[in-house]
Amino acid sequence: MTTFGLPFDDPEPNGARRAPETARPEPPGLPASRGPAPQPEPDVDDEPIHPERHIFTVSELTADIRSLLEAQFFEVWLQGELSNCRLWNTGHLYFTLKDAGAQIRGVMFRSAVRLLKFKPQDGLHVIARGRVGVYEAKGEYQIVCEHIEPEGLGALQLAFDQVKQRLASEGLFDPARKRPLPVLPRKIGVVTSLDGAAIRDIVKVLRRRYANAHIVIRPTRVQGEGAAAEIARALAAIGAVDGVDVVIVGRGGGSIEDLWAFNEEAVARAIAACPVPTISAVGHETDVTIADFVADLRAPTPSAAAEMVVARKDEVAARIDRLAQRIDAATRGRLYRVESRLRALDARGGYAGFSGRLAMRGRHVGELSHELRRVMHARLMQRERASQALRLSLERLDLRRRLADVGGRLRAADAALAARMAQRRLARQARLGRAVAQLESLSPLAVLGRGYAVCWNADRTAVLHAADEARPGDRVQVTLGRGELDCEVRAASPDRRTPPPEG
Amino acid sequence: MDPTIKDFETAIAELESIVKKLEEGDLPLEGSLQLYERGVQLSRYCHARLEDAERRIEVLNERGQLKPAPDALSDDEDAGTARGR
Repeated sequence: MTTFGLPFDDPEPNGARRAPETARPEPPGLPASRGPAPQPEPDVDDEPIHPERHIFTVSELTADIRSLLEAQFFEVWLQGELSNCRLWNTGHLYFTLKDAGAQIRGVMFRSAVRLLKFKPQDGLHVIARGRVGVYEAKGEYQIVCEHIEPEGLGALQLAFDQVKQRLASEGLFDPARKRPLPVLPRKIGVVTSLDGAAIRDIVKVLRRRYANAHIVIRPTRVQGEGAAAEIARALAAIGAVDGVDVVIVGRGGGSIEDLWAFNEEAVARAIAACPVPTISAVGHETDVTIADFVADLRAPTPSAAAEMVVARKDEVAARIDRLAQRIDAATRGRLYRVESRLRALDARGGYAGFSGRLAMRGRHVGELSHELRRVMHARLMQRERASQALRLSLERLDLRRRLADVGGRLRAADAALAARMAQRRLARQARLGRAVAQLESLSPLAVLGRGYAVCWNADRTAVLHAADEARPGDRVQVTLGRGELDCEVRAASPDRRTPPPEG
Repeated sequence: MDPTIKDFETAIAELESIVKKLEEGDLPLEGSLQLYERGVQLSRYCHARLEDAERRIEVLNERGQLKPAPDALSDDEDAGTARGR
């Protein structure tokens, strides 16, 4: 390879450099053995040097240097460490490449910077391809790079790591940011290519598992230059659609370059900014992209994403059914307990005691029968009210009509419930009938007819139970089987039992 | 839809709390019947919601308009074979 030395060997056309041949001897001539030769040696060529001396202007020399360097180094590969990296507002990247012994300034113009996958950083060891350029105004030379790639790791891997690290440090992958998917999505947003396999897979799965799914697709390119920006715009657009409450973003499988858009920061940020939970579904199971880290949920494939969204419909339907069944069972239990109480109020329980005592304690017959009537009436009224309330409630519920909508199982259960309620009402009415008949048979008149009497206070507001409820001189009323007696108490003997009426 | 029901998820949550109250069982009859009624209403709402999503596929275009999806996508049968990548 030729070297910088070349120019100096290159004879100028005007022969200005003829001198060297003869001038050279000068240094060798330094064997100053000749001593301080006061005047130029009597060299033949001594004289002509001055007249033939070529004097460059700075510009001329610089221009020469420039044309030499730029011609010589129009394409070089250069290895070194990046330092002083600065990305200017203009989009151009300025830096220095160095190794242990030297450094060279470098620049990369915006058009080339845009194509870089990774972000140049100080300290990175890189291999750059470019040409040497001379900036005459400053007398500086630099390497103008067309391409830079990280040494060692591939550029893509480095880019991936860089974006991942940057977003992680901002907390975009924080588990606390992950939002739960809606239990039941209203509209499912999909951001992907209309032509790819992914959209067909997603639609197919959604249709299979949730036939009435409402899907809104925002088509976008998913690979190639500018795809990332397009995906980001699509995410923003679909997140704004009214009713969309979950979004799937992704594409089918491909090479790492094909999937690259999903590793770009723009897409990651758009996912983070999406107002509704977002599922990433990029490539195959083994493909992991930056989008996966940011998304609320990562699906291994587009089909799997669709399953994640609608697997829930089945679950939810079952869950509602279970809840409805439990409500139904609890309510039936409640009604059953009410039934039991009503039954307890029924005749048998209610006046068994009365009739028993009635038989044994003749003196209370009148009182008892009066009480009996009162109690029976009160209880019948009470039960009637309860029964009425229950009936009203049931009517209001209109079990059959409402439950008809809830679904098969529930419907069957409710029909059974209604049937049972009706059956019990009938049974209750029958019991009521029997109770009334029994009550009739216990008519106080019939008892009084057998010789029992009821003793009332004077104004007939209370039945006398004990002798000390009356004093000598009090008036009392006595009801007999036929007619009444208006009596005056002559004496009251609390301790003595009245002789048996038939004694 | 019933204005007292906010959305599907709150309906489910309310259903669950009703089940809990009813199963504890110490409510007056009238109260539990009211809860029952509410429960039926909620489960009906939920089932309706499960079914009422519209079976529809739309495409959101660049101008923000919603258009019906191409037939190839809307068809139940996968028509993808007719489409290039």
